[in-house]
Amino acid sequence: MKEFFQSTKVKIFLSVLMVLIMLAVFTRNVENNIISTTLNAMTFGLSKVTAAATEDHAKGKSYDELNAENEALQQANRELRAKLVDYYSVKEENTRLWKFYDIKREHEDYSLIPATVLRRDSSDEFGSFTIDKGTASAVNVGAPVIGENGLIGWISEADAYTAKVVTILSPQTSIGAVDNATNDTGIITGSAKYADDNRTTFSKLNSENKVEKGDIITSSGASGIYPKGMVLGEVIEIGYDTYDTSHYAVIEPYDDISKIVDVAVITDFAGQGEILRKESGE
Amino acid sequence: MMSDKATSFFRYLAYVIELILMFVLSTTPGLMPEIFGAKPVLLICVALTAAVFEREIPAMIIGMLSGILADIAYSNSIGVFTISLTVICFIVGYAANNLIVAKFLNYLLYAAVAVGILFMLYFLVWFVIPGVKDMWSYFTAHLISRMVQTFLFSIPFYFINHFIYSRLNTEMG
Repeated sequence: MKEFFQSTKVKIFLSVLMVLIMLAVFTRNVENNIISTTLNAMTFGLSKVTAAATEDHAKGKSYDELNAENEALQQANRELRAKLVDYYSVKEENTRLWKFYDIKREHEDYSLIPATVLRRDSSDEFGSFTIDKGTASAVNVGAPVIGENGLIGWISEADAYTAKVVTILSPQTSIGAVDNATNDTGIITGSAKYADDNRTTFSKLNSENKVEKGDIITSSGASGIYPKGMVLGEVIEIGYDTYDTSHYAVIEPYDDISKIVDVAVITDFAGQGEILRKESGE
Repeated sequence: MMSDKATSFFRYLAYVIELILMFVLSTTPGLMPEIFGAKPVLLICVALTAAVFEREIPAMIIGMLSGILADIAYSNSIGVFTISLTVICFIVGYAANNLIVAKFLNYLLYAAVAVGILFMLYFLVWFVIPGVKDMWSYFTAHLISRMVQTFLFSIPFYFINHFIYSRLNTEMG
């Protein structure tokens, strides 16, 4: 045993122990000392590992708490997603309304209902289509339908949530119109001959008309069915109908009716139905 | 066939890796659940089980390293675990080689005594000497649990380090 206490091992042990005791005292009494700095530097990598592993436990939450929080976040996410869908719907409607903003600004008396084309009638060569608004939105039969650049048709049928639009390319259409440049009047009605080319006719012109190419044709508002001054298109050709011996003009609407997506229905305007009411004696 | 130095190097490397892993495990909140208000000090488990197979100086160095890591984990400075583990591992290393051979049952004896001394010293330095209020409630609510757990958790480490020692030791063939 005496030999053991005199051995090199014990001397090494005692030396190490002395150093450790001194270090312990030193590190205890001096703040931010070189020893603790060195130890921290040595274990920095390990601390990084533990820090990375503890990120999720940083707030000391249990599995159940995290699970509940996850559920709540998922619920909030669902609600936000639903709001986002609403937001996109509102944004889309807003975009559609902006297209008609200028028209609304010019005609403050108009009540506009923006609508989207749901489907097109493939059996109809005159471009009729169905929109996503119906009587529930105050869209009734006979109401004028406009595109971004002018009048494009009218409501021929309406149920609660959809309505069918007959376009100005259709022979079913009959709109009193006027040449803004010459004040010549006539009827806008579709023609099978021109409908495929997105054109309609300004017919029943008298023989002394002065209609020329490039004139802009607008609605006359004479019947009280369509508002006065709605742009219908531009004259691109003058013709003579040998069948009913009258002059006519070929009109090209400013909107491509066969491709139009966003429209607006004028549900009310100043003077609507006045003439009809007068004629019926009301 | 590896040389003595190579086998020793890999054995010590295995201990160091073990220590680092246990340090990470001990200091990562949420990885180990608390049992009866306490967690085992895994670094002590590694140090004691390595010390019973090694000679005095290597045992002392392993004890010192694990003590430094344990102190950093608890107090961020060299303290009671460093000094006490250095001393205890040196003594265990000497005793296991010269007095009581480190069979499993003998190891349990070493571990029980060593863990008891270590935690008593810890309690003395951190609670009794500073006169911490309610220190006995801490002792009964936490320290006993920690002592028992450290002792029990050292058992699997005994077998792990026995495996390492037997595989990476030329003396055992």
